[in-house]
Amino acid sequence: MMSAGEADDARLVAAILRRDRKATAEFVARYADAVYAYVRSRLAPQYDLADDLVQEVLLAAWENLRQYRGTSALQAWVMGIARHKVEDHYRARLRAPEPIGDADNDPDTPVSIPKFDELLDQERLRKNTWRVLRGLPEPYRLALIWRYWEKASAREMGAKTGKTEKAIERLLARARAEFRERWDHG
Amino acid sequence: MADFRDEEFMRLIADSAAPAESGPAPSHLKAKIYSALMRRQAQSGPLMSLSEIKACGEELCVFEELARIAPLGERAKSLNICRACHARVLAEHIEHAPIYWNGCPYVQLKKS
Repeated sequence: MMSAGEADDARLVAAILRRDRKATAEFVARYADAVYAYVRSRLAPQYDLADDLVQEVLLAAWENLRQYRGTSALQAWVMGIARHKVEDHYRARLRAPEPIGDADNDPDTPVSIPKFDELLDQERLRKNTWRVLRGLPEPYRLALIWRYWEKASAREMGAKTGKTEKAIERLLARARAEFRERWDHG
Repeated sequence: MADFRDEEFMRLIADSAAPAESGPAPSHLKAKIYSALMRRQAQSGPLMSLSEIKACGEELCVFEELARIAPLGERAKSLNICRACHARVLAEHIEHAPIYWNGCPYVQLKKS
């Protein structure tokens, strides 16, 4: 038996598929905020690209509603499309040749890391992490976000960008080194 | 080989969720998205007519209601009349546009 939420999702999808304009307005009103917040958090600090990507996500979701099977909440389904679109964005950006970095930096060379455990203030830690991430060159920032926020493996990232796993590991190593450098010398 | 640095970054960055600085989507962005979806739908065939929408118990704005009761065929009532409405133009270009009609989709998006 359907829950109230499932029934409401099914009603909205059916109405959109019947070409009810009010249902489309409801769809945008319901999901634009969540998609917008997610996309901005993943694109920061390049907010100028966020609006276009939000539109792309909602358009893709709306155009593919026939494929929605109701096995998850409609919001989760829409957010799944948002994740894919953000990943497409990372992929496109990381496919471009890297204009920066030292390719000779060996990822296997031990690097001292900041003693994060010594930082007691979690909020300060969060803000500092964010500050450093925001200042990194785009390929480094996207690689770190994709790997550590989205939890993609180097192998997955390699497969999706047409690079080898080793190349992605080298990119991540350079990104971490740059991160550490900026963390230490802010 | 265990990559200690990798784990350290996993913990550091995963614990540092992106700052919640965005707030809700701007109303003009929602308006533009809605307009784009309606354009797309109208290009592929007639929309559900205003008479049918009313019969489903949904609220029409004053202009949609006028179109619904006008002596027009159902085909005319299936057009995307928002395309010719100043409320759409205001909503797409002004944040929190001064539009207030009940049943207007752009007003709904402004309030959402």
